[in-house]
Amino acid sequence: MQIGEDKVGEALVIAPAGRVDSVSSAELERVVVARLDGGERRLVLDLSGVEYISSAGLRVLLMAAKRLKAPPAALVLCGLGPSVRTVLELAGFLPLFTVEAGREQALARVGGPAA
Amino acid sequence: MSVLRLRLEPRDGEAFRREVRAGSAILGRSSKADIVLADRFLSRQHARVFLSDGIWLLEDLGSRNTTFLNDRPLAEPTPLRPGDVIRLAESRVVVEGPGEPVAGAGDGLVGDDDERLPGSTILRPAAQLLSEARATAAPGESGLFAGRLRVLNEVHRALAAPITLEGLVNLVLDRAFAHLHPEEGAIFLRGEDGALHRAGVRQAPSVKGEPLFSRRLVEEVVEKGVAALVTDASLDERFAAAESIVVSGVRSLVAAPLLDSEGCLGMIVLSARRRAHPFVEGDMELLAALASAAALRIRNLALTEETARRRLLDKELDLAADIQTAMLPRTFPTRAEIDVAAALRPARTVGGDLYDVVLEGDRLWMLVGDVSGKGVGAALLMAVTKTLFRAIAPGSASVASAMGRVNDELARDNERAMFVTVFAARLDLATGELRYVNGGHNPTYRLEADGPLTPLGGPVDPALGAVEGHEYRESTLALRPGDTLVLYTDGVVEARAADGEEFHALRFESYLGGCRGAKAEDVVQGLLSRLEEFAGDAPPYDDVTVLVLRWLGSGLES
Repeated sequence: MQIGEDKVGEALVIAPAGRVDSVSSAELERVVVARLDGGERRLVLDLSGVEYISSAGLRVLLMAAKRLKAPPAALVLCGLGPSVRTVLELAGFLPLFTVEAGREQALARVGGPAA
Repeated sequence: MSVLRLRLEPRDGEAFRREVRAGSAILGRSSKADIVLADRFLSRQHARVFLSDGIWLLEDLGSRNTTFLNDRPLAEPTPLRPGDVIRLAESRVVVEGPGEPVAGAGDGLVGDDDERLPGSTILRPAAQLLSEARATAAPGESGLFAGRLRVLNEVHRALAAPITLEGLVNLVLDRAFAHLHPEEGAIFLRGEDGALHRAGVRQAPSVKGEPLFSRRLVEEVVEKGVAALVTDASLDERFAAAESIVVSGVRSLVAAPLLDSEGCLGMIVLSARRRAHPFVEGDMELLAALASAAALRIRNLALTEETARRRLLDKELDLAADIQTAMLPRTFPTRAEIDVAAALRPARTVGGDLYDVVLEGDRLWMLVGDVSGKGVGAALLMAVTKTLFRAIAPGSASVASAMGRVNDELARDNERAMFVTVFAARLDLATGELRYVNGGHNPTYRLEADGPLTPLGGPVDPALGAVEGHEYRESTLALRPGDTLVLYTDGVVEARAADGEEFHALRFESYLGGCRGAKAEDVVQGLLSRLEEFAGDAPPYDDVTVLVLRWLGSGLES
């Protein structure tokens, strides 16, 4: 798994790529927690490069959503491939997230100036 | 003749001790002073101690910052008493007392112009020393060589027996003292933090005062893996310039690294003050060999300790696994209307899967769940979930309300966002009415007695623990006598063969399709052996849980 990061205006895009399994999700969690602790409040998780996500990976998404629950903070997911979407659906989590098709729409949705 | 014992605490250097034996010594910043103190505010020749009519006196030598005795400026030569504190600029000197020199003592170290040994230090790579040691057995030396071999043999034999680290340090110091006759010796070992700690220290009975060893020497020996021989420490600039080697009177010192193939574990250092003959190169060779034998054993000890720790941890995990297994029911309610069986195979020692079956009057509660993640954390949440289900489900008005309450308990203060997917159901044994909730879990299969195999539909709600206050939705299904329900976790369908291929829902469904009319226990065991066969030698990928329930009917149904 690799993790790309991109700061766009007030928003931060984190884009993991590859397999987010029980081992690599720890690395994703470390990055997400570090950025949230660092004060990021508008987060886009671009999952277009994710081939597979395990329940441990879902936990990281859920944790980010919990920490960014209160406005003006926001979390938007985008780029969900069929397998990632299915895993989110099966865990009953799809309704818990704001989901957009692509990164542009996600940045528009996550809010903040110049996003 | 009386000696004056001083403890010196220079502003810019480490504390050290000196004994003034020559009747007079100048203290100052200059290298021409008899006792050099690292303190840039000091005058070159700041003060003097001298013996007059058997009394030690202190005198200021017109220094820039004057000299203080017990915090009072010194106007004239003043007698010194034990406990006096001398202040020179920003350095302190404590008078530890006048005393009698020990018989056989050599020349005074301080203010002594007598002839003495030329200071010299030999540093040699320990590895080279060891490989060349055999070559040193020149014909004339064969007796000595044989003696050393005997010492080494003795040490090797002693080290072969079970021993603690402390015992080993003592043993090596014992041998070193017995054969090299130092007055002080110490072993330093590198700790887990990488810093050197003194693991053992020993002094000959005649020696007093805390031995102080030069940090510079220790670092040189450990960092470079060299053995060192200092024939007159007081004159060797490398060690004498800024930091003291030992208390005054050191004439000779020998040190060797505790070196093995993986690196340096520490060092052993021996010193002698009033020694008639300084250490020689042969002593350095013997010490290097001794240190090398000790290093091997120390490395082994560390490995043994590591193994013991791991074994203890494994034991703890086995215990946790036993407790976890004991939490899962192995016997099931025996009622004419039902036939139940279940199994759980953890992928690791402890796992995150769970199942439960509870009879409440004429209703049977069932639960299969899978905690996110793996390992001990998952196992703890598994235990909590199972306990909550037992406490909350029986007596609840509906499956949905029971799951809502378990969920709220799990979701509260759940910062790490751990969750557990569940399939929870309640069967009315009399009517065959099944009510169920799917919290993000694999859908349960229904195998009809004379019909198809179908996954149960209905809404999928979030896994438990994800969202506090979530209202779970309940579905209803009317079973017919002979219908079989199969609850499971994804470890079944995601089981892997050695080549990475998944067992997959297709194989699972094909197996279940052949199970009509079979006993619950047979369905469970049959599945487990299929999975085992499929996985072959591949390590288990995930926990595997399956719970099978056949509703046989009550005879009351229409």
